[in-house]
Formats: sequence, C-alpha cells, structure tokens
Amino acid sequence: MAEIIFSSWGGEVVDNRTKESQDFEPVNTVDLPEYFRQDEAVKALMGWYGLVVRDPETDVVDLSRVYIQEVQSKSCGKCFLCRIGTKVMAETLERICNGQGKPEDLGVLKRLAESIRESSKCNIGQSGPLPILDALEHFAADFESVINAKKSVTAGNYHSKLTAPCMDACPIHLDIPNYVECIKEGRFADSLDIIREKLPLPGIVGRVCVRPCEEHCRRMNIDAPISIKFLKRFVADYELSKGKEPKFVIAPSAKTGKVAIVGAGPSGATCAFHLTKMGHKVTVYERFDEPGGMAAMGIPDYRLPRSILREEVDRIERMGAQFDYESIVGKDVKLSQLEADNDAVFIAIGAHLGTTMGVEGEEENYDGYISGVQYLLDINQGRDPYPEGKKVAVIGGGNVAIDCVRCSFRIEKDDVHLIYRRTKNEMPADAVEIHDAEEEKVNFNYLTHPVKILAENGKVVGLRCVKMELGEPDESGRRRPVPVEGSEFVIDCDIVVPAIGQTMDLSLLEGREDVKTTRWKTIVVDELTKQSDQPKIFSGGDCETGPGALITACAGGRTAAFSIDKMINGESLDYTEDDHFQKFFSKVKVFDQAEDLGLLGGRERKELEMLDPDTRKFTNDEVEQGFSVNDAMAEADRCLRCYRVATIKV
Amino acid sequence: MVTLTIDGKEVTVPQGTTILEAARSVDIKIPTLCYHDRMSPIGSCRMCVVEIEGFAHPMAACTTPVEDGIEVATISDRLTRIRQDSLKLILVNHPLDCPVCDKGGECLLQDLTYEFGIDQVEYSAAKVDRDSQYASPLIRYWPDRCIMCLRCVTACQEIKGIGAISVKGDGYGAQVVTVDADKCQSCGECLQVCPTGALTEDLSRYKGRTWLIERVPTTCTYCGCGCQLELNVQAGRVMAVTAQDGVGVNQGSLCVKGRFGYEFINSDERLTTPLIKKNGKFEEASWDEALTLVADKFSAIKAEHGPGAIGGLTSARCSNEENYLFQKFMRAAVGTNNVDHCARL
Repeated sequence: MAEIIFSSWGGEVVDNRTKESQDFEPVNTVDLPEYFRQDEAVKALMGWYGLVVRDPETDVVDLSRVYIQEVQSKSCGKCFLCRIGTKVMAETLERICNGQGKPEDLGVLKRLAESIRESSKCNIGQSGPLPILDALEHFAADFESVINAKKSVTAGNYHSKLTAPCMDACPIHLDIPNYVECIKEGRFADSLDIIREKLPLPGIVGRVCVRPCEEHCRRMNIDAPISIKFLKRFVADYELSKGKEPKFVIAPSAKTGKVAIVGAGPSGATCAFHLTKMGHKVTVYERFDEPGGMAAMGIPDYRLPRSILREEVDRIERMGAQFDYESIVGKDVKLSQLEADNDAVFIAIGAHLGTTMGVEGEEENYDGYISGVQYLLDINQGRDPYPEGKKVAVIGGGNVAIDCVRCSFRIEKDDVHLIYRRTKNEMPADAVEIHDAEEEKVNFNYLTHPVKILAENGKVVGLRCVKMELGEPDESGRRRPVPVEGSEFVIDCDIVVPAIGQTMDLSLLEGREDVKTTRWKTIVVDELTKQSDQPKIFSGGDCETGPGALITACAGGRTAAFSIDKMINGESLDYTEDDHFQKFFSKVKVFDQAEDLGLLGGRERKELEMLDPDTRKFTNDEVEQGFSVNDAMAEADRCLRCYRVATIKV
Repeated sequence: MVTLTIDGKEVTVPQGTTILEAARSVDIKIPTLCYHDRMSPIGSCRMCVVEIEGFAHPMAACTTPVEDGIEVATISDRLTRIRQDSLKLILVNHPLDCPVCDKGGECLLQDLTYEFGIDQVEYSAAKVDRDSQYASPLIRYWPDRCIMCLRCVTACQEIKGIGAISVKGDGYGAQVVTVDADKCQSCGECLQVCPTGALTEDLSRYKGRTWLIERVPTTCTYCGCGCQLELNVQAGRVMAVTAQDGVGVNQGSLCVKGRFGYEFINSDERLTTPLIKKNGKFEEASWDEALTLVADKFSAIKAEHGPGAIGGLTSARCSNEENYLFQKFMRAAVGTNNVDHCARL
C-alpha cells in the first residue's frame, strides 16, 4: 500500500514529504482506504478534519478549490460568514487556479477561513475551512508557485460528499440535521417530508429505534445527545393528532413492473412504499392477519401501540400497494410461482423462530415452556399463552427478553424473573428498557445460567440454575461467564421463556437450493444491492442480516426497492457513488468520540413524561408520552447541525 | 440563579438566560443585527459572538444560555475581526443606494458599518441575480439589499404562525422566497422587523426621508382591539404607518388594514362635512342641520310606524363605551330593541 506523505487529520500533523520511506511516521488518526471505486486509487482526502495526501503528485491547490466549492454549495445560507465567506473563498481559489491569482489572495483566504471557522452557526462553516488553513500552512509553496506561474492548473478528478455523524450512523441515512432543524423552526410537515423521502414509518421508528444516530451525536461531547428518536416520533404524532393525511407523490419510472414482497414487516413495508412511489405494482404477502411483522408480533403495545403501526402501513396500502394477509408463501403460493408471475420478488420474512438454550428438559415440550417470540406473539394477539402459570422465568439479555418480562405483568403474572448469565453492564438490551423494567420491579438474576427445566406431570415447576462469574474476555471482547461450582439453586416458576435469540423459518425456500443461505440460515444477497444469486430474488431485513434493528430492516427494504427499479428499467446494479462513499466512511470515521468541540454545553436534554411504574405495568397503555410542541422545538434547538464535507482526489 | 462574569463584571441571572440578555441586564452592549426582542434568537449575523474562557470557539451570545462560573469577554481583537468580517461580507454586492433607500437613516446595517468603521471591503464575489417577487403586493422586496438575517422568515413563522416565506437554495444562492403566497395576509410583520431596506412599504416609496418624518402615536380605528400605531407624518400628510415594538396590546404587530389602510386620510374623495340631498343633489350642510334632520325623520317614522320600525347597527371600530351608548340611545331615546353590531353579522 502506498504510504501517506502528509496528514493533518484530527489535528495531528504527520509530514513525511522530505523523509525516506523507511523513516515515514505512521498516521494514526485516519485509516484512508486505498481505493474509492475498484479502479480509482485514493490519492488524497480533504475534509472536515484535515488534509491527507498519499500521492506526491496531488495538486493541493486544485483540491482546495474543489473542496471549498463543495462546502459553499452545501452551506445552508442561514449565517453570514459561511454563506458569503465560503463563496468569496471559492471564487478566490477559482481565480488562483485559472492563473489569475494575486499574492494578497492568500492573506484573504487565511483571514476568511479563520473568521468563518470561529464564528459560523453550524459545523459546515465551523469545520469547512479547516483543511484550507492546513493546506495554506503546510503547502504554502504550492499556492505561491501557482500564483507566480500565472498559468491555470489542470483540474483533477474528485468525488465529494456531504455527511454528518448521525446521518452516517443511521442505517437508512436519514437527513437528521435537516429534519431536526425544521422542527426547531416549527415546520413540522416539512420535517416529516424529509423523513419520508427515505422512511415511511416515522411513528414506528420514532418509538422503537435503537438509535445509532444518538450514539454518534456530537452534542454528546459537550453535554448529551439530541433526542433524535423522539423528535421523529413527535412530528409523526403531530400529523396524526391534526388528522392530516400525508400526500405522497407517485412519480413512475420510465418502465414499471410487478413486484411480489414476502412479509409486511418494516422491511417489506418500506420496500412496498418506495416501489409504489416509483409506479410499480406491488403485492405484499403476509402470513398474519395484520401488518408489522416482528414489530407487531414481537413489540408489546405499551412500547408501540398497534394503531400507530396499522396506520403507517395502511397509508402504503392507500398509496396503491396491495396487501394479501393470511397468505403464506411456500404454502398458499409457491416462491417459484411468484418469481414466474412478477418481475422481482423481495423476501423479508424476518426471524420468527426462537432458538433453544440447549438445556436439559427443553425437548420435552412441557406445559409452560414457551419460546420468547411465541410468548410475545400470543400476548400481542390478546391471548395469555398459559393462564395456569403465574410465575415466569425469562432467560436472555436482549430487548426481546425485556419485552417478555414486562409483558408478563400485563397478563397478570405475579412473579417475574429475568435470568442473564453476565452482568447488567454486558446486557445488550437498551439501557432505557432495562431501567423501565427495573422500575416495574422485575427480579433481575444476573450472573445466572439455566441448567435444567424441572417438571412434574408434564408441567414446568421450576428452573434449576447455576451462579456464574466473569472470566477472561472472549472473542466479542466481553468477559466470558463461567459456572461457579456447587452454586446450583432452583427458581420457583411455572413458565419458562427462553429469549436468547431468533432464527429464520426458511421453509419457503424448500426445493430452491439455488437461493443461497448461510449457516446461520440467513439469505445471501449482495450487501449493497440486496440482490441474491438469482437475479429476480432480493432479500432484506432480519432474514438477510440475522435478527437486528428495525431501522436496518427498513434500510434493506429501501435499497432493494431501488435495485428492483433499476433492474426493471434494464439499468446495471453497479454500486452507486453513495455506496462507495458508504464504504469509504466505514473506514474514515465521520464521528470522533474524543473530539474536543471547544463549545460551551450545559443544555439539558428533554426527557419524555412516563406513566407511573406502579400502575402502568398492569395495562397496555403506551408508557412513554410524546414531546409537547415546546419541548420538541427546544430539543431540536440543541442540534449542532454537524454537516461536513469530504472531497476525495482519485 | 446562575452567576457569571462578563468583561470582568459579576452578573447573577436566572438559569436559562442567554449571555446576551445577561449582558444587557448590566448595560454591557454586545452588537447585534439579526437579534430581535420579540423573537427567539436567530443566530444568523454572528455579530454577537463572545469568547468564553476555556472554550476554543467563540459563541453567539444570543443563542448561548449562561452557565455558572463562566467568564465571558465581549471585546477582543479576534471578536472585532469576526464582526468586521461579518459586516464586510454582507457589504459584498450590497448596493450603495442608501441615498434612495427608504430605510436610509434608520438602517441597522448602516449604523453598524459606521460603528465598526468599515470604509473598504477587500472581498468580492460574482453577483447573483435574485428574484424580487414577494408574497404581498403591498410590500416590495429588494433582494440585493437583503442581508438574509431571517428576521422576516422568523417573524412570519413565529409571531404570526403563517410561514408564507422561507429560505430556498444553498450557499450564496440562498434567498428569501415566498413559499405560499396564499397564506400571506399582508400583515407586514416582515416589513416591521426588517433591519435594512430589503422590505419596503410599496404604497409610500420615495415619499419622504425618515429624519423629516414626525411619528405621531395613536390608536388604530379599524376595530376594537386598540392597536397602538404611529402615523408617519410629513408636511401634514400621512406617509406611512409603523408600530413601535413592545408597545400596546399589539406589541408592534399590525394587520393589513392597520398598517396599509391609511390612504383614505388624505383622500380627495373623503367626506369632510355632512351632506344633505336637496332636489336630488347632495349639498354641504352643518352638523346641526344634519342632526336636526335625522332627529326629525326618526321622530316622524316613530310617530307613524312605531319605534319597532327603526333599527340601529353599530361598528366594531367604536369603543366599548360608544357601543354601550349607542344601544342605550336606541333603547331609551328611540325605544326599540332593534340594535345590533357588525361583529355579529
């Protein structure tokens, strides 16, 4: 790999230009990929965090010109210095590159770059001119020689992109700073429009998203992240409370076709939404009698009211997509039939089967032994899965396990245990969910592992467990729990619910060995196009990725919709510029948790009102109450609008 | 309460106060341009940037809430450079038409340019042609004079809750545009808050210089709200109507009638004396003649047809007291309950 000859990325200057290659200092602040597209070597990068040069032939002056032009074109125009200052800088650099530069231009560039950086309202202006200052400082001779030569420079090839840490972290890449700004300005409908360009389910995602965006929110570096999830919920709820029907514009593609979607969960619904918007005729086959997939069957009503879910999916139906409920692909209709009747098939069947724990007694089918997903499914359909039982032991540490324990109170179980083999710190469930379950007085049994299900007359009567302690870290980096000898004890219970993981029911692929699956029973598709080896078959959501986040499933559905549209229109499914940037930014990190922003923080994050734990645990009423208009606008006002630009020289 | 120091002066203010408000409370002046007392801070002009000890970035005083123990500096070479650069950039391509600008003499940009001694601008950029179309025909938009402070957009959205105008475009091409002309009520809130001559009242263009105009405070006569306004009078003629921020029930807001419906005052067609129709033609009469005639006719009608034949309608432009007297007159003097008010019609 070619070595980096200069870097100022992250404020750490490494200058190898005058060194022999064996004396090159390493660059620790950035992992610059060697290629952008397969045939395009990355020669240099100019971006929000500095300048990185790999190819000694790189013309930093021309790179600066292209970069600052991109910054100017992305400036929102809402503060003076960034809007006009970057324009003056862009034109000055343009003039220099045209051979009409003047020596005093460099002083103008430097002074403006500093003023813009120090005072702009948002990060476009605060970070935009930074690498220009680096270039002016470390490549001064290059600028001077271009000015003195009075000749135009040869324009290079570049790729530029606007991103933001939250946007980059979001699997579907919602334009978060933009929709948050609309909320701040009181333009709630505009905010929803921006969300719906990509995501048709803001009310659902605004309630149950695992919010990777908030973990990448730069505001965290000065106080606490923006409440992005609940802002999204707020605009969706606001529209609903006003009784407004969103207007979706159907803009048919040049060629439209017929598409079958298997599964009306988040992935299938999102795919149906985008395909319908592009004018395709979509039929969604759903095994249950209502939409939502795991979001409906696996997420309890107190977290995601069914009415919200139905309404958001019904809107897609009202747009023109057809939904065939209680129709099982593989049984009622064969996959090959769908393939024959349609231009494409999108498989998004989720991961509906519980995995087993490998514990003695599990194979016996005792009354009272119910898998986590089945337990939730029954409760969500209004049934108590085992009315006789009153004492519940749920095994697992994820969100499904938490849902199972919290739901248990709501079907009048008196004694509810959660059993997890590590400690609270290692628990994969959302910290907020754990906190809420604690408030509702679930008995948490950490460092505990089930050994045997105890039964009498074919009915569960207890669970024998063993105490664990944390040993050496395993490959996941978490300390491996090991049993403490002689510590076995029995938890008195009549319902045992393993909620340790889910897997796919791939029976629809029977006889279709040509559609590849992995040993984890996921369907193999191209990561960025969602197309399988069989060109007409696409897949997304949990059945492609394994059990994962709802928003990831939506992203898969959206990607597949665009791939299917391209295929129907005879276009190639090659990776797009955005796809290449997605790969690029997975190396060149958009968010740096250690960044010192140099800004004063201290503005409190707004929290939602909650129902009282002592009463809410016995009802299915939604626990979290949404933001008020004032709170939503105040919360949105905390956004630092961390847009940033990268320009890659290839 | 939170205690901080601003330019070495100790200030104690309630939590949630901005640095700008805290500074003003102790008479420390921080320059502002986009900031307006009646709206939440906009933060577009960056004139109010201040330095906070221990933080690398200057921060806008208008949008930054105070924190306990912070030390704020409102004056430094760096801050002056930033403020000057902000003004210089605004002046790039800003027309020097102050002599014919209706805002000349009371323009915030003019004042700040003077205060910061900007006598030349070393920056330049190609001029962009901008659309001068605007939401209301009563207001003229001068896009080249517009500094994009966004007071107008904020006022329309926040004070009026309308949102007829917004920002469109990116970078230097961004401008204030009408997004929904149908929503515009021509209230002129945008005009009221514009710090420069980018929005001018289109009824009174070029009619008078601000420093020659006398502002006469009065109460709007259009309805019973009692909005306070100022008649802009020059040489005995009303040239425009403005309102004073923070004064009266309206706090500076007016409606289309109050702000723009003043031309009748100097109209040649306006009635200045009662008229009585004689032989099919209106002839000028005195008030005594006119009132005597009306009283005689009412008495005659009452005598012939009874008081129920007479009804009275009064106006929302009248005060409560006038309305009260009117119904009293109809009931006690005329003797009828046939009395109503236009607000019910």
